[in-house]
Amino acid sequence: MNNYQRIVFPLFVVVMAVLPTLLNPRWQAVAITFLIFSVVALSQDIVLGKAGMFNMGQALFFGMGAYITAILNYKFGWPILATIPLAILLPALFGIILAGPIVHLRGDYLLVVTIGFNIVFVQVLQNNLGGVTGGPNGIFGLDSLSLFGAKLTSQLAVYYFAFAVLLLTLWVMRNLEKSKAGRALHYLREDQLAAESIGINTRIYKVFAFGLGAGISGLAVTVYATQYAAVSPEAFEFIVSVLFFSIVLVGGSSIPGVMLGVFVMFVVPEIFREFATWRYFVFGFAMILAMILRPRGIWPATFGKIPKYLIKGGSHGA
Amino acid sequence: MDIFLQQLANGLTIGSMFALVALGYTMVYGVMKLINFAHGDMVAASAFVGLTVYTQVMGQATSLAAVVVIFLLTAAIMACVGIVLERVAYRPLREAPRLSAVVSALGASLVIQNGIMLIWGPRMKIFPELVPQVYWDLGGVVISLIQVLILGLSLVLMVGLYLFVEKTRMGAAVRASSIDQDAARLMGINVNSIIALIFIIGSSLGAIGGLFIGLYYRGITFNMGWQYGLYAFIAAILGGIGNIPGAMLGGMLLGLFNAFIAGYVSSTWADAFTFILLIVILIVRPTGLLGERVAEKV
Repeated sequence: MNNYQRIVFPLFVVVMAVLPTLLNPRWQAVAITFLIFSVVALSQDIVLGKAGMFNMGQALFFGMGAYITAILNYKFGWPILATIPLAILLPALFGIILAGPIVHLRGDYLLVVTIGFNIVFVQVLQNNLGGVTGGPNGIFGLDSLSLFGAKLTSQLAVYYFAFAVLLLTLWVMRNLEKSKAGRALHYLREDQLAAESIGINTRIYKVFAFGLGAGISGLAVTVYATQYAAVSPEAFEFIVSVLFFSIVLVGGSSIPGVMLGVFVMFVVPEIFREFATWRYFVFGFAMILAMILRPRGIWPATFGKIPKYLIKGGSHGA
Repeated sequence: MDIFLQQLANGLTIGSMFALVALGYTMVYGVMKLINFAHGDMVAASAFVGLTVYTQVMGQATSLAAVVVIFLLTAAIMACVGIVLERVAYRPLREAPRLSAVVSALGASLVIQNGIMLIWGPRMKIFPELVPQVYWDLGGVVISLIQVLILGLSLVLMVGLYLFVEKTRMGAAVRASSIDQDAARLMGINVNSIIALIFIIGSSLGAIGGLFIGLYYRGITFNMGWQYGLYAFIAAILGGIGNIPGAMLGGMLLGLFNAFIAGYVSSTWADAFTFILLIVILIVRPTGLLGERVAEKV
């Protein structure tokens, strides 16, 4: 853990900072996608990995963030950066409102309800409720980034914007792990009853996890909306939630594991483009194989600094 | 009133297909406590297998005997696929954390869905007209032979399954395994073969459901499994997951609900209404309509 913080993380930051200057535009776009989806996957990790709630509807929250940015920019002419506060707050608020009545549901029931939310959301978008979502085609032609009136049209600007968002997310996750809320979520995940009996208000913390995850993913897709200059319902179908759900669990719900999952899911297919039709067929097998060989994920998360000899079976926190 | 009766007939037809597929979910869930996400894709695959059996094996014959053979052969093939699925994707994860098995199920779903796409291509296929297009006009309500067949055969299968589970020794072993696997093992029940049996029954019922979907809707696509699978899974939850009569009831109710929403409100909102119904039911009565209240295990 220490080695990781001292060497690997700074190395990662440096590499990612100089990376775009070495890439051609196509790979810059891939790198931006990687950054955005890393943030989304980490936001899913807060709900699924850290708090242990079976959430299979994360696409709802990041879809909402994307649509808020798109609608404010396209219909009301707000600059992209000005939409960020609302793109974070509204999904977070919505996450809290939706999670409120359902967090007491256990395991698979919660999973099904979150799938349900996701599907209702996509249908609302497709039916163009309120006439602002653009129906099945979505919204095209968003502005590019601009700061104090200066247009930042290059991909590099989008890249560094996405990179900043990722660093911010990593900072939030690190603080979360060291804070009261993070410990509460961890106990909650390990044993809800025990957590309650030592005075943790599990309901509040579960809703909090949903709100935080929704807010972070809302922020991530502000970049997404800028990058593609468009949003459409099929980008937020529940199959997308399934992908992020799988990424977190196959990765092992640790930060490096989750990012490795995003890399395999979204960057590797770009290398093997001619085999695009085989993509999900191969991923399906990989998911089964990964779970059989490493049921706790490829890079299982650990929690806190508990000495090894105190841990029964050595599988603590995963 | 005409719309009402017409949608009643349509709803019962769709409902019996949901119910057949839901049985596969509910039986697997009952014993393994696992959402078999691949089941919907198995259903989709069976429609394609049926299509191939029809064109390659039966030489496009549509006599009654040929149709019976197509149904039996497809069900048998899918039962084998079901056993392989359980062996490869689920058995190694029996003792693993719950979520690992869920991911494995999702992986299996992707494999089957994209396997269909790689074998039969990404485009919609037209399912053959195995049953003659006969319609009866009963005073404004039109009922087709296909609808009667689907409803009748589904009811027969469901009653048969119910009797099997409730009245036979093997059925008792299935029930015992779903209450407590360890206790069942201590009573000398081979839980592994019960699970295999469940996959055989669930997959072949799903296969018949898939053939019905092909017969009724005609157009079949490689990714339709998620859609029908989710509906069937909702049906299983509505009735109380793990509960076999519950899945039948849930399927019928969901079919009716769907048909009436499509008839009276709007078909573009049918999914949303269905899921809102599901969410409300789960919030009010999480164990479903026929599910028993399970005491919290400490």
